[in-house]
Amino acid sequence: MSRGVRLTALLVGVAFGFLLTASGLGDYRTIHEGLLLQDPYIYLMMGATVLTAAGGVRLLRRRGRTALAGPLVLPRHPVRRSTVYGAAVFGVGFGVGATCPGITVAMVATGGLWGAVVLAGILAGLWLRGRAEPPARRPTTSSRAGGRSRRA
Amino acid sequence: MLHLLPHQLPWWVAGPGIGLCVVAMYGLANVKLGVSGGWLQLLFALQRRPVTEPWRIWFNGGLVLGALVAAALGTAAVRGYGALGAALPASWLVPALALTGVTIGYGARWAGGCTSGHGISGCSVGSPESLAATATFFGVAVVVSLLVHLVTGGAV
Repeated sequence: MSRGVRLTALLVGVAFGFLLTASGLGDYRTIHEGLLLQDPYIYLMMGATVLTAAGGVRLLRRRGRTALAGPLVLPRHPVRRSTVYGAAVFGVGFGVGATCPGITVAMVATGGLWGAVVLAGILAGLWLRGRAEPPARRPTTSSRAGGRSRRA
Repeated sequence: MLHLLPHQLPWWVAGPGIGLCVVAMYGLANVKLGVSGGWLQLLFALQRRPVTEPWRIWFNGGLVLGALVAAALGTAAVRGYGALGAALPASWLVPALALTGVTIGYGARWAGGCTSGHGISGCSVGSPESLAATATFFGVAVVVSLLVHLVTGGAV
């Protein structure tokens, strides 16, 4: 991994963490009221995120090359049963806790220390799922990017 | 603490800003922005297993720093755990939140991503898998939230 990739990850991570937190998602109410269909904020925000990113990806695709890591490879995969089962289990926790793996950080950073309990649970859940699946099949969340990804 | 930030950034600022983060990760580093994968890499490091994608640990480190910057610049402080924290005594809240985390982590690894990896990055490139995952976890979360709201008589 080049130093450029590490630096990119760090700096984009800072921007991402700042925006997640400053948008108030670390406050339980923001996502909870969204999931109760009382406040459209999270849907508007996520819609704006995906539209902006999709527009940017169109431009990247035209270029075809990344700045630091060779030809652009976009992660496109068919739907698998594991995706849907996993997402359903994820949805239960997402619904009850009104938080997700990134938002727990926004919670803790703004003083919501209970978020640390959720984050500890997330690490335990990741570990448990690793015990439940055969090691060769899927060693990491994103290892599937190798092999089956389609070139842009 | 400074008070430079509004209570909540408008969605039309925060949304496109995060969209640009996704584009930057694809366009510069050729990787898919996602958070749960970073926690998995951290877990590998804790287990003394090989860290296969070290950039993810840098990304999640940046996420922590950025969240602290937003908190220092005046993002409203969070107390307790919202309506859920008010409805449950601490002796119940800890196991409830830990179990909530376990389902989130277990589900994210099973599904191959979470709200960021599937919901934002995968949906942005139109990956069928990510669209299905996102529709599933949002659908389930809305139903679960409404059920809990109903069962608790509107308390949560």
